[in-house]
Amino acid sequence: MALCLPLLVCAPACRREAKAPPAPAPKQSIRATLAQVRGAVSVKRAAGDEWQAAVNGTALYDDDKVRTERGGSAELRFPSGTVVAVSEDTLLGIAETQAAPGRPQADVTVLRGTVDATLDRPANQSLTVGTPAATVRAGREIVFQ
Amino acid sequence: MSHALAAALALLASAATTPPASETVVRPGESLGQLAARTLGSEGAGPELLAFNHLDGVPAAGTRLLLPGPERARAVAAIGSARSAVVQAPPGSARTEAEARLAEAESLLARARYAEAAAQADGAWKLLADAREERSHFAVAVEPDGRTRVAVREGVPVRVEAQGRTRAVRAGETLTVIRGEPPGPPQSESSAGPTGEPPVLLSPEPGLKLALEPAPGGLGPVRFAWKPVPEATGYVLDLAGPRKTLSVRSAVPVVTIPGLPGGKYRWTVRAVQSDGTLGPPTSRVVQLVPGRIKLEVKETPWQ
Repeated sequence: MALCLPLLVCAPACRREAKAPPAPAPKQSIRATLAQVRGAVSVKRAAGDEWQAAVNGTALYDDDKVRTERGGSAELRFPSGTVVAVSEDTLLGIAETQAAPGRPQADVTVLRGTVDATLDRPANQSLTVGTPAATVRAGREIVFQ
Repeated sequence: MSHALAAALALLASAATTPPASETVVRPGESLGQLAARTLGSEGAGPELLAFNHLDGVPAAGTRLLLPGPERARAVAAIGSARSAVVQAPPGSARTEAEARLAEAESLLARARYAEAAAQADGAWKLLADAREERSHFAVAVEPDGRTRVAVREGVPVRVEAQGRTRAVRAGETLTVIRGEPPGPPQSESSAGPTGEPPVLLSPEPGLKLALEPAPGGLGPVRFAWKPVPEATGYVLDLAGPRKTLSVRSAVPVVTIPGLPGGKYRWTVRAVQSDGTLGPPTSRVVQLVPGRIKLEVKETPWQ
C-alpha cells in the first residue's frame, strides 16, 4: 500500500507530462501519424497493455489502438494524404493484421464512436474502414491478390 | 551572325509559320528590360522577347523585332488562372504536382513556347479542378451494439460491404448496417428531410471578423457556441475553410478549437437526435484574421 500510494498520487501529474508512447521495433512501417490532438487521447501499442497519452506526431503502427475520451479528438494522417478525424468517445485500431474471419484487412477498424474521413484525391488514394457490422471502402478500387 | 541579320531571318521564318504579328524597333539607349516593359508589359520578359526573335544577345538600336500575338496572351492568361488556383488550393499532392506544372509553364513562356506553356498551365489548373470535384468526404459512426452508420457528405461514392453484399453510398446519402445483416438501400438525407429543431447559433456572430493571436494550427482559440436543442444527445460541428475542413462531435453546445488557419469559414451545426440521426443544420460564416482585437462589423452605440 505504501508503495502504491506514491504511484496513485503521481498518476495525474504523469499524465500531464505527455510524451509520445514508445514506438515498436523499428522494422515496422508507420501506418499513420496523430495530429490535432485535443483533450484526452491515448494510444495502446500492439505489444503493450497500457494506454499512454498521445501527442501530435505520435507514429502509429499495425495493431495499435487509439482512444479518445469525452471532449477529446485527433486526426490520423496517412502517408497517402488521407486524413481521418477521430471524434470524442471513439475507440479504433490501426491496420489490424488479424481481421475478423471473412473480412479484408482495414486501414482503420472503428470499434466505437465516429470518424470523419477525407480523401483529397480519391482517384489515387484509398481507405478501408472496418466496423463490427461492415467494411467501408473509399477511393480507388483495390484488387486483393 | 549580326543581330540585324538574325532578326531579319527570324522575321522570314515567323512569317511562314505564324499569323502576322506586330513589330517594334529598338530605340537608341533602350535596355532589354525597358524594351520588354514597353512591348510586353514586363521588364522581366526580355529573354522571352529574344527567344521569340531567335536572338542570342541584346539587339542594337534600330533593330526591328517581331512581337508575339494572341498566342502569348492566351498562355499568359492560362498561367494566371493556374497560379490563382495553386494559391487557393489546400496543401497536398495535387497542389505539389500543379506547382511543378506551373513552374514548367512559366519556363516555357520565358522561351516563347507559348502553345506548350498554355498546355502546361491548363494541365495544372485542370489537376486542381479535378481534385476539387473528386474529393471524398464521409463519416462512419459505430454504436455500442456495433450498428454502423455511413454518411457520405461529398465526392465519389463509397462502398459498404457486409454479409457478402456491397452497396454504393453516394454524396448526400446515408446507410445504416446492423451487425450480422447485409446492408439495405441507402437513404437520401435530403429526401428524408431531417426532422427536429435546427440549432440556434450564438457565437461567433454573423459576419464577424475575428482577430486572433497565433496559436498551434494557425490562429486561435476559436469558440463556437449555440443554444441547446431539446432532446439532443450531442452535436456535430462542421467547419469548411479555405485550407481546412473539420468535423467535431460534442456532447455540449460549445466547441473550442485551439487553432485554425486564417481565412473565411462556414460553420454548420446539427443536433444528434435520440435515434442517432442528425437534425437540420444551421450555418454561419466567420472570418479569422491575425491581430489582437475583435472587429465588430455591426455598428454599436458605444463610443
